[in-house]
Amino acid sequence: MRKTGRTILRLSAALVLLGAAVPVHAHHPTARCQQQDAQTIVCRGGFSDGGGAAGVVMDVISYDEKILISGKLDDKSTFAFKKPQGDFYVLMDAGAGHVVEIDHTEIK
Amino acid sequence: MASKTMAAPPTGLAAKWRRWRFHLSALLLVLPLAYLPRYFDDLALSRGEKGLGQREIGQLAVGPWQVRLAEWRVEPPLPEGEAGHMKTFTLGLCADCISQVKAAYVRVGKPRSLRTAGALFSGSPYRLMASVPIPQRAGADAQLWLTLEGWDGALHQAAIPLAQASPVTQAWLARQN
Repeated sequence: MRKTGRTILRLSAALVLLGAAVPVHAHHPTARCQQQDAQTIVCRGGFSDGGGAAGVVMDVISYDEKILISGKLDDKSTFAFKKPQGDFYVLMDAGAGHVVEIDHTEIK
Repeated sequence: MASKTMAAPPTGLAAKWRRWRFHLSALLLVLPLAYLPRYFDDLALSRGEKGLGQREIGQLAVGPWQVRLAEWRVEPPLPEGEAGHMKTFTLGLCADCISQVKAAYVRVGKPRSLRTAGALFSGSPYRLMASVPIPQRAGADAQLWLTLEGWDGALHQAAIPLAQASPVTQAWLARQN
Protein backbone atom coordinates (compact mmCIF):
# COMPACT_ATOMS: atom_id res chain seq x y z
CA MET A 1 0.00 0.00 0.00
CA ARG A 2 2.78 2.37 0.94
CA LYS A 3 4.43 1.71 -2.41
CA THR A 4 1.24 2.52 -4.34
CA GLY A 5 0.90 5.70 -2.31
CA ARG A 6 4.44 6.72 -3.23
CA THR A 7 3.87 5.99 -6.91
CA ILE A 8 0.72 8.10 -6.88
CA LEU A 9 2.64 10.90 -5.15
CA ARG A 10 5.41 10.74 -7.77
CA LEU A 11 2.98 10.69 -10.66
CA SER A 12 1.03 13.63 -9.30
CA ALA A 13 4.27 15.57 -8.73
CA ALA A 14 5.21 14.95 -12.37
CA LEU A 15 1.75 16.11 -13.49
CA VAL A 16 2.02 19.29 -11.39
CA LEU A 17 5.42 20.05 -12.95
CA LEU A 18 4.08 19.48 -16.47
CA GLY A 19 1.07 21.65 -15.70
CA ALA A 20 3.34 24.44 -14.48
CA ALA A 21 4.73 24.81 -18.01
CA VAL A 22 2.11 27.25 -19.25
CA PRO A 23 2.13 27.63 -23.04
CA VAL A 24 2.85 31.13 -24.26
CA HIS A 25 0.05 32.78 -26.18
CA ALA A 26 0.68 35.78 -28.36
CA HIS A 27 -1.74 38.67 -28.18
CA HIS A 28 -2.98 39.41 -31.68
CA PRO A 29 -6.32 41.07 -32.35
CA THR A 30 -8.90 38.97 -34.15
CA ALA A 31 -12.28 39.82 -35.61
CA ARG A 32 -14.98 38.12 -37.62
CA CYS A 33 -18.09 39.58 -39.16
CA GLN A 34 -21.17 37.93 -40.51
CA GLN A 35 -24.39 39.02 -42.04
CA GLN A 36 -27.18 38.50 -39.50
CA ASP A 37 -29.95 39.46 -41.90
CA ALA A 38 -30.20 41.43 -45.14
CA GLN A 39 -29.60 44.73 -43.34
CA THR A 40 -27.50 43.90 -40.27
CA ILE A 41 -23.89 42.83 -39.93
CA VAL A 42 -22.55 41.60 -36.60
CA CYS A 43 -18.84 41.52 -35.80
CA ARG A 44 -17.15 39.79 -32.92
CA GLY A 45 -13.70 40.95 -31.84
CA GLY A 46 -11.17 39.55 -29.45
CA PHE A 47 -7.56 38.61 -28.95
CA SER A 48 -5.84 35.42 -30.01
CA ASP A 49 -5.21 34.43 -26.39
CA GLY A 50 -8.98 33.99 -26.08
CA GLY A 51 -9.67 37.30 -24.34
CA GLY A 52 -12.47 39.68 -25.29
CA ALA A 53 -11.90 43.18 -26.62
CA ALA A 54 -14.74 45.21 -25.08
CA GLY A 55 -14.38 48.93 -25.78
CA VAL A 56 -12.11 48.56 -28.80
CA VAL A 57 -12.89 50.92 -31.70
CA MET A 58 -14.70 49.46 -34.71
CA ASP A 59 -14.99 51.62 -37.79
CA VAL A 60 -16.85 50.94 -40.99
CA ILE A 61 -14.91 52.71 -43.76
CA SER A 62 -15.72 53.18 -47.43
CA TYR A 63 -13.17 52.41 -50.14
CA ASP A 64 -12.56 56.16 -50.53
CA GLU A 65 -11.50 56.29 -46.84
CA LYS A 66 -14.60 57.97 -45.38
CA ILE A 67 -15.67 56.68 -41.97
CA LEU A 68 -19.29 55.63 -42.50
CA ILE A 69 -20.02 54.21 -39.05
CA SER A 70 -17.90 54.44 -35.93
CA GLY A 71 -18.51 52.39 -32.83
CA LYS A 72 -16.99 50.24 -30.13
CA LEU A 73 -17.19 46.58 -29.20
CA ASP A 74 -19.78 46.14 -26.44
CA ASP A 75 -19.42 44.14 -23.20
CA LYS A 76 -19.90 40.93 -25.16
CA SER A 77 -17.15 41.97 -27.64
CA THR A 78 -19.67 42.38 -30.45
CA PHE A 79 -20.53 45.27 -32.73
CA ALA A 80 -23.63 45.38 -34.92
CA PHE A 81 -24.23 47.86 -37.70
CA LYS A 82 -26.54 48.53 -40.62
CA LYS A 83 -24.97 47.42 -43.88
CA PRO A 84 -23.96 50.55 -45.79
CA GLN A 85 -24.43 51.08 -49.49
CA GLY A 86 -21.39 50.53 -51.69
CA ASP A 87 -17.98 49.03 -51.01
CA PHE A 88 -16.63 49.17 -47.48
CA TYR A 89 -14.39 47.46 -44.98
CA VAL A 90 -14.57 47.01 -41.22
CA LEU A 91 -11.56 48.02 -39.16
CA MET A 92 -11.00 46.81 -35.62
CA ASP A 93 -8.50 49.27 -34.18
CA ALA A 94 -6.86 48.19 -30.93
CA GLY A 95 -4.00 50.67 -31.40
CA ALA A 96 -1.14 51.20 -33.84
CA GLY A 97 -0.13 47.91 -35.43
CA HIS A 98 -3.00 46.12 -33.68
CA VAL A 99 -5.68 46.25 -36.32
CA VAL A 100 -7.85 43.77 -38.17
CA GLU A 101 -9.32 44.66 -41.51
CA ILE A 102 -12.33 42.82 -42.89
CA ASP A 103 -13.37 43.53 -46.43
CA HIS A 104 -17.10 43.50 -47.23
CA THR A 105 -16.48 40.69 -49.71
CA GLU A 106 -15.40 38.47 -46.79
CA ILE A 107 -18.66 39.03 -44.91
CA LYS A 108 -21.13 36.27 -45.66
CA MET B 1 6.36 -21.01 6.03
CA ALA B 2 9.58 -19.06 6.37
CA SER B 3 9.89 -18.64 2.62
CA LYS B 4 6.59 -16.77 2.61
CA THR B 5 7.95 -13.93 4.72
CA MET B 6 10.97 -13.37 2.46
CA ALA B 7 10.52 -11.19 -0.62
CA ALA B 8 10.79 -13.42 -3.65
CA PRO B 9 13.15 -12.10 -6.34
CA PRO B 10 11.09 -10.66 -9.19
CA THR B 11 10.67 -12.95 -12.13
CA GLY B 12 9.55 -12.61 -15.71
CA LEU B 13 8.15 -9.22 -16.66
CA ALA B 14 8.81 -7.66 -13.26
CA ALA B 15 12.51 -8.47 -13.54
CA LYS B 16 12.73 -7.06 -17.03
CA TRP B 17 10.98 -3.87 -15.98
CA ARG B 18 13.36 -3.46 -13.06
CA ARG B 19 16.34 -3.76 -15.34
CA TRP B 20 14.97 -1.56 -18.11
CA ARG B 21 13.71 1.25 -16.00
CA PHE B 22 17.34 1.92 -15.10
CA HIS B 23 18.24 2.20 -18.79
CA LEU B 24 15.15 4.35 -19.33
CA SER B 25 16.19 6.85 -16.69
CA ALA B 26 19.67 7.07 -18.25
CA LEU B 27 18.05 7.69 -21.64
CA LEU B 28 15.95 10.50 -20.17
CA LEU B 29 19.14 12.18 -18.97
CA VAL B 30 20.82 11.86 -22.37
CA LEU B 31 17.87 12.88 -24.58
CA PRO B 32 18.11 16.65 -23.87
CA LEU B 33 21.66 16.60 -25.28
CA ALA B 34 20.13 16.14 -28.74
CA TYR B 35 18.56 19.60 -28.37
CA LEU B 36 21.79 21.34 -27.40
CA PRO B 37 22.78 22.45 -30.95
CA ARG B 38 19.34 24.00 -31.45
CA TYR B 39 19.65 25.69 -28.05
CA PHE B 40 23.01 27.27 -28.92
CA ASP B 41 21.67 28.26 -32.37
CA ASP B 42 18.73 30.03 -30.74
CA LEU B 43 21.06 31.81 -28.32
CA ALA B 44 23.31 32.98 -31.16
CA LEU B 45 20.30 34.16 -33.18
CA SER B 46 18.82 36.19 -30.34
CA ARG B 47 22.22 37.68 -29.49
CA GLY B 48 22.51 38.85 -33.09
CA GLU B 49 25.59 36.74 -33.81
CA LYS B 50 23.80 35.24 -36.81
CA GLY B 51 22.89 38.60 -38.29
CA LEU B 52 19.49 40.24 -38.49
CA GLY B 53 17.69 36.90 -38.79
CA GLN B 54 18.17 33.40 -40.13
CA ARG B 55 17.88 34.67 -43.70
CA GLU B 56 18.75 38.21 -44.67
CA ILE B 57 16.54 39.43 -47.54
CA GLY B 58 18.68 42.41 -48.36
CA GLN B 59 18.77 46.17 -48.41
CA LEU B 60 15.71 48.17 -49.44
CA ALA B 61 15.18 51.86 -50.05
CA VAL B 62 12.02 53.11 -48.37
CA GLY B 63 11.85 56.69 -49.60
CA PRO B 64 15.07 58.34 -48.42
CA TRP B 65 15.72 55.63 -45.85
CA GLN B 66 17.82 52.51 -46.34
CA VAL B 67 16.68 49.49 -44.35
CA ARG B 68 17.74 45.87 -44.09
CA LEU B 69 15.04 43.21 -43.94
CA ALA B 70 15.36 39.62 -42.78
CA GLU B 71 13.30 36.54 -42.04
CA TRP B 72 13.69 35.88 -38.33
CA ARG B 73 13.42 32.14 -38.86
CA VAL B 74 13.33 30.23 -42.11
CA GLU B 75 10.05 28.51 -41.41
CA PRO B 76 6.47 28.67 -42.67
CA PRO B 77 4.01 30.99 -40.87
CA LEU B 78 3.02 29.73 -37.43
CA PRO B 79 -0.63 29.24 -36.49
CA GLU B 80 -1.86 31.72 -33.86
CA GLY B 81 -5.40 30.46 -33.36
CA GLU B 82 -8.15 32.87 -34.38
CA ALA B 83 -5.59 35.43 -35.58
CA GLY B 84 -4.50 33.13 -38.39
CA HIS B 85 -0.92 32.38 -39.39
CA MET B 86 1.93 34.70 -38.42
CA LYS B 87 5.37 35.21 -39.87
CA THR B 88 8.09 37.18 -38.11
CA PHE B 89 10.33 39.61 -40.00
CA THR B 90 13.17 41.74 -38.66
CA LEU B 91 14.19 45.19 -39.82
CA GLY B 92 17.39 47.16 -39.30
CA LEU B 93 17.37 50.93 -39.87
CA CYS B 94 20.41 52.69 -41.32
CA ALA B 95 22.42 54.62 -38.73
CA ASP B 96 21.29 58.01 -40.05
CA CYS B 97 17.61 56.96 -40.21
CA ILE B 98 17.32 55.96 -36.57
CA SER B 99 16.69 59.48 -35.34
CA GLN B 100 14.30 60.24 -38.23
CA VAL B 101 12.01 57.19 -38.29
CA LYS B 102 9.15 57.22 -35.82
CA ALA B 103 7.49 53.93 -36.74
CA ALA B 104 7.73 51.09 -39.23
CA TYR B 105 4.85 48.87 -40.31
CA VAL B 106 4.64 45.77 -42.47
CA ARG B 107 1.79 43.84 -44.06
CA VAL B 108 0.90 41.61 -46.98
CA GLY B 109 -0.82 43.68 -49.65
CA LYS B 110 -0.91 47.42 -50.20
CA PRO B 111 -2.22 49.32 -47.15
CA ARG B 112 -5.31 51.45 -47.68
CA SER B 113 -4.21 54.01 -45.08
CA LEU B 114 -1.76 54.54 -42.23
CA ARG B 115 -4.28 52.93 -39.87
CA THR B 116 -4.17 49.77 -41.94
CA ALA B 117 -0.39 49.84 -42.49
CA GLY B 118 -0.15 46.47 -40.73
CA ALA B 119 1.97 45.10 -37.92
CA LEU B 120 4.09 47.62 -36.04
CA PHE B 121 7.80 46.85 -35.75
CA SER B 122 9.06 47.00 -32.18
CA GLY B 123 12.38 46.66 -30.43
CA SER B 124 15.80 48.20 -30.93
CA PRO B 125 16.16 50.25 -34.15
CA TYR B 126 19.08 47.99 -35.08
CA ARG B 127 16.78 44.96 -35.00
CA LEU B 128 13.09 45.74 -35.04
CA MET B 129 10.70 42.79 -35.09
CA ALA B 130 7.14 42.35 -36.29
CA SER B 131 4.78 39.40 -36.67
CA VAL B 132 2.74 39.72 -39.82
CA PRO B 133 -0.52 37.89 -40.41
CA ILE B 134 -0.24 35.96 -43.68
CA PRO B 135 -3.70 35.72 -45.28
CA GLN B 136 -4.24 32.19 -46.59
CA ARG B 137 -5.94 33.58 -49.70
CA ALA B 138 -2.81 35.55 -50.70
CA GLY B 139 -1.78 34.59 -54.21
CA ALA B 140 1.53 33.82 -55.86
CA ASP B 141 2.01 37.52 -56.68
CA ALA B 142 1.47 38.70 -53.08
CA GLN B 143 3.68 41.54 -51.96
CA LEU B 144 5.11 42.56 -48.62
CA TRP B 145 4.58 46.28 -48.02
CA LEU B 146 6.76 48.30 -45.68
CA THR B 147 5.50 51.66 -44.45
CA LEU B 148 7.86 53.98 -42.60
CA GLU B 149 6.60 57.05 -40.78
CA GLY B 150 9.02 59.87 -40.00
CA TRP B 151 8.92 62.19 -37.00
CA ASP B 152 8.16 64.99 -39.47
CA GLY B 153 4.99 63.11 -40.52
CA ALA B 154 6.43 61.93 -43.84
CA LEU B 155 5.24 58.53 -45.05
CA HIS B 156 7.31 56.34 -47.32
CA GLN B 157 6.49 52.91 -48.66
CA ALA B 158 8.26 50.07 -50.40
CA ALA B 159 7.06 46.69 -51.58
CA ILE B 160 8.85 43.46 -52.36
CA PRO B 161 7.38 40.20 -53.63
CA LEU B 162 6.57 37.79 -50.81
CA ALA B 163 8.28 35.08 -52.84
CA GLN B 164 11.50 37.08 -52.49
CA ALA B 165 10.94 38.07 -48.86
CA SER B 166 10.19 34.52 -47.77
CA PRO B 167 10.27 31.64 -50.26
CA VAL B 168 9.21 29.29 -47.44
CA THR B 169 6.05 31.33 -46.89
CA GLN B 170 5.31 31.39 -50.61
CA ALA B 171 5.68 27.61 -50.77
CA TRP B 172 3.38 27.29 -47.75
CA LEU B 173 0.80 29.53 -49.46
CA ALA B 174 0.97 27.42 -52.60
CA ARG B 175 0.13 24.37 -50.47
CA GLN B 176 -2.84 26.19 -48.88
CA ASN B 177 -4.52 27.20 -52.14
